[in-house]
Amino acid sequence: MKVVPSRPEVQAESAPKSGREPAAAMIEINRVSQVFRTSGRQDHLALSEISLTIGDGAFVSILGPSGCGKSTLLYIVGGFVNPTQGVAKMKGKAITGPGPDRGPVFQEFALFPWKTVLGNVMYGPRQQGVKREEAEAQSHRLIEMVGLKGFENFYPKELSGGMKQRVALARTLAYHPAVLLMDEPFGALDAHTRTRLQNDLLNIWERDRKTVLFVTHSVDEAVFLSDKVVVMTRAPGRIKEIVDIDLPRPRRRAELLLDPRYQKYVVDIERMIDDTSEDGLRP
Amino acid sequence: MITERTTIVSRLAPLLACLGLLGIWQIGALFLNTDSFPSALDAIRAIPSILGDKESLINILASLRRMAVGFSLAVAVAIPLGLMMGRSRAVASFFNPLLMVTYPVPKAALMPIIMLWLGVGELAKILVIFLGVSLPVIYHSFQGAKAVEEKMLWSGAAMGLSAAQRMIRIVLPAALPEILTGCRTGLVLALITMITSEMIARQSGAGNILFNALDMGQYDTVFAMIIIVGAMGIGLDAAFEKLRGRLVKWSEPQFDMPLSFS
Repeated sequence: MKVVPSRPEVQAESAPKSGREPAAAMIEINRVSQVFRTSGRQDHLALSEISLTIGDGAFVSILGPSGCGKSTLLYIVGGFVNPTQGVAKMKGKAITGPGPDRGPVFQEFALFPWKTVLGNVMYGPRQQGVKREEAEAQSHRLIEMVGLKGFENFYPKELSGGMKQRVALARTLAYHPAVLLMDEPFGALDAHTRTRLQNDLLNIWERDRKTVLFVTHSVDEAVFLSDKVVVMTRAPGRIKEIVDIDLPRPRRRAELLLDPRYQKYVVDIERMIDDTSEDGLRP
Repeated sequence: MITERTTIVSRLAPLLACLGLLGIWQIGALFLNTDSFPSALDAIRAIPSILGDKESLINILASLRRMAVGFSLAVAVAIPLGLMMGRSRAVASFFNPLLMVTYPVPKAALMPIIMLWLGVGELAKILVIFLGVSLPVIYHSFQGAKAVEEKMLWSGAAMGLSAAQRMIRIVLPAALPEILTGCRTGLVLALITMITSEMIARQSGAGNILFNALDMGQYDTVFAMIIIVGAMGIGLDAAFEKLRGRLVKWSEPQFDMPLSFS
């Protein structure tokens, strides 16, 4: 088994190799650069000429050291940040702002603290004009799916970090976005909770195979979850390698950890990151 | 057992403090024995006659109405203004200098000018109360709106909320605990500016009763009025705390100084 990293420039087809039809492009990022003006009135190049195509139904992770601009890239796709240069497209249409077709899940959860669990999950559907009873029934199903049955009337402050992130996931899934944008969603959780949420996320994803863009700095997490891992370099953020993860699905954690192919992916990608980190240290 | 006893003690503590204060007052007054410092008992004895007097009662109710009008108007203007200042740098930089100049000025010091323009009637007093209440409410609304998590607003935007909807349906509720902290300060300031404005423009009201009594040398009435005004303040504050607790029961508990007897 050999890792064959495809070059960033030549990756037109981007369908996951899990025995399905090559899917149409869901998201196209075309030569996107992002410049931030720092407090010292200096321009900081956060992202440089990023081009990336994400196929419909693909689970793609963006992996890189902190400060490589991987979250910024996600925010650009979400429409929360406008790129300085280049364009990001969703189903062929340029992204100009946030919309319910792209649902974010943040590391900080960003739940509405004045709403109960049910109120949070219902918020999106209600905003989309779904009738109250219908939104409530849907939300109850989603809350059960993320394993929080019985907690419907709890306020966020009464929940643990892992539970909050489950609510955030249900809240986003509730308005049926075509793409899930996950910004280090499990980064603030302890190792045990993190593993459980990864498993649950995969199980949920297996049901409807939404397109997922998943930002993380954990190599294990990226390999375990993804069809494709985009490895980024730091300052300015560039794509170093795109690695196709050719591992069978549905994935079982215990089996995967013993699988030499999984181990090789992890080791190879870790090496790539080590290289980029040293690059980053040079002035 | 220990916790039970400590709760009883902490419940009784405010009462004991009040009784202690009255005791010291009583002893001090008996010791000094001057007309201008009536004993606590004399002052308390004067309370029923004030509250029983129709004229005084009308005066006190007029004060409360003034205070309610001034407070409500201030809150209605200050909350939207503070929230917009917290979310828009342009709005903040426009109003900031204005507020910086008015902030340190005692609102009662504006009374002469306001009286010159609006006379000594209701309008002048309501305006002074309005000014006194506005600033803390603006400040806290501003702080509350500024502290709203960006990601929370993004989540709302992804659900399809417009900028205006985000303001009303995310910024307002998220900032509510902070806004209500400002309103609580504002309520006490309303009482203070109400009394001072009535002391300056003496026509009616609780402040007027107080100073009339002073002019006529009825010192027990003066002290009784101070007790009444103080009790009004404590009562309003406690009622507001109850309301606040109900409105923001979802928020992380705040550890304010326990000023109220709740």
